[in-house]
Amino acid sequence: MIDQRLARTKRILLVMSGKGGVGKSVVSAALAGSAAASGLRAGLMDADIYGPSSALLFGAKGLPAEGESGLVPPTLGGVKVMSVDLFASGRPIPLAGSGANEILLELLALTDWGTLDCLVVDMPPATGDIMLTLTSLRKEDVGAVVVTMPDRLSTSVAHRVLDLLRGGRVTTIGVLGNMIRGSAKNKGSGPRKLAEEFDVPLLGLLPYDPSVSIAVEKGNIDSLLRTRFARTLSRSMSDHLRP
Amino acid sequence: MHELSLVQGIINAVNETASEREGRVLSVRIGVGELAQFDIRLVRGLLNDLKKGTPLEGARITVAAEKSRVKCLSCGKIWDFQELAGPMSGDEREMMHFLPELLNSCSRCPNCSKSYFEIEQGRSVRIIEVVLDT
Repeated sequence: MIDQRLARTKRILLVMSGKGGVGKSVVSAALAGSAAASGLRAGLMDADIYGPSSALLFGAKGLPAEGESGLVPPTLGGVKVMSVDLFASGRPIPLAGSGANEILLELLALTDWGTLDCLVVDMPPATGDIMLTLTSLRKEDVGAVVVTMPDRLSTSVAHRVLDLLRGGRVTTIGVLGNMIRGSAKNKGSGPRKLAEEFDVPLLGLLPYDPSVSIAVEKGNIDSLLRTRFARTLSRSMSDHLRP
Repeated sequence: MHELSLVQGIINAVNETASEREGRVLSVRIGVGELAQFDIRLVRGLLNDLKKGTPLEGARITVAAEKSRVKCLSCGKIWDFQELAGPMSGDEREMMHFLPELLNSCSRCPNCSKSYFEIEQGRSVRIIEVVLDT
């Protein structure tokens, strides 16, 4: 069923890090928004079931409409957005056992994405069931973008993720450094070293940009796309969004 | 809404099994969970229509409803989903219609007041049994 749902999705980008708080959700939202702004048919799947934020970032509210062949994700800023928070509406989401993965599978099975050039997936922290599910999709064009902050705590977890991805079904597209500050000389040395060690591209170094918080507070994707952070991301990733 | 895809999936799965074991399908037993949100009559009707020309044609197909069983992982009490659904608002019922796993988000155990449920039964559609003549 899930294979059928994703059959008309040309490219899937898994935005992951292993660690929480490095900016995956904002990167995912800006990536999907950039894809739509460049004319691609884009979708965003919020796979962070315990701490969903994609709906909030896009200002999406209310239950998705029930179409003839599945749930129709709301379209905001040209992006089709699906998140468990469209159902939970801000309620806590306590789940036992495999509950989070069950919800993810259910959302994937129910959502009618139509035809997409690019589906961005905002992955949850950790390397549990959801990561294993999404890195095992029976699709050709699935790539992983590993986001990390430059500090050792973030890069050490990103290192584990890159290690897990090595030799697997999913192509590692590269490493994306986020919230980068400091002098030009040592800027982004952590993400750079990671990319070198795993012999994957360093996709970009996204600046620490206080205007991101302001844009997030507004809860609309257009404000986010106008930030220096999003413009840098768009330039760094433009070649990787197209199928 | 999803019954057609479901029935096609069931037929494909049974066909695969029959083909792998090189057997003729004599009977199939399917359980449709109370929380799986499928119209059981529609499932039966579609199975009867779509089995034509497949290895399921001629097989005896039984489709039965399965009651839900929800366990409170805090106090161990077992509940029927409907017992927990009573106090829910219209919005919450709608939410549960799509994602029953969100039960913990909108219900508390009537016995211990915790929101720590696990749906043990009634969530899925299962092919319980396929009998082949091999």
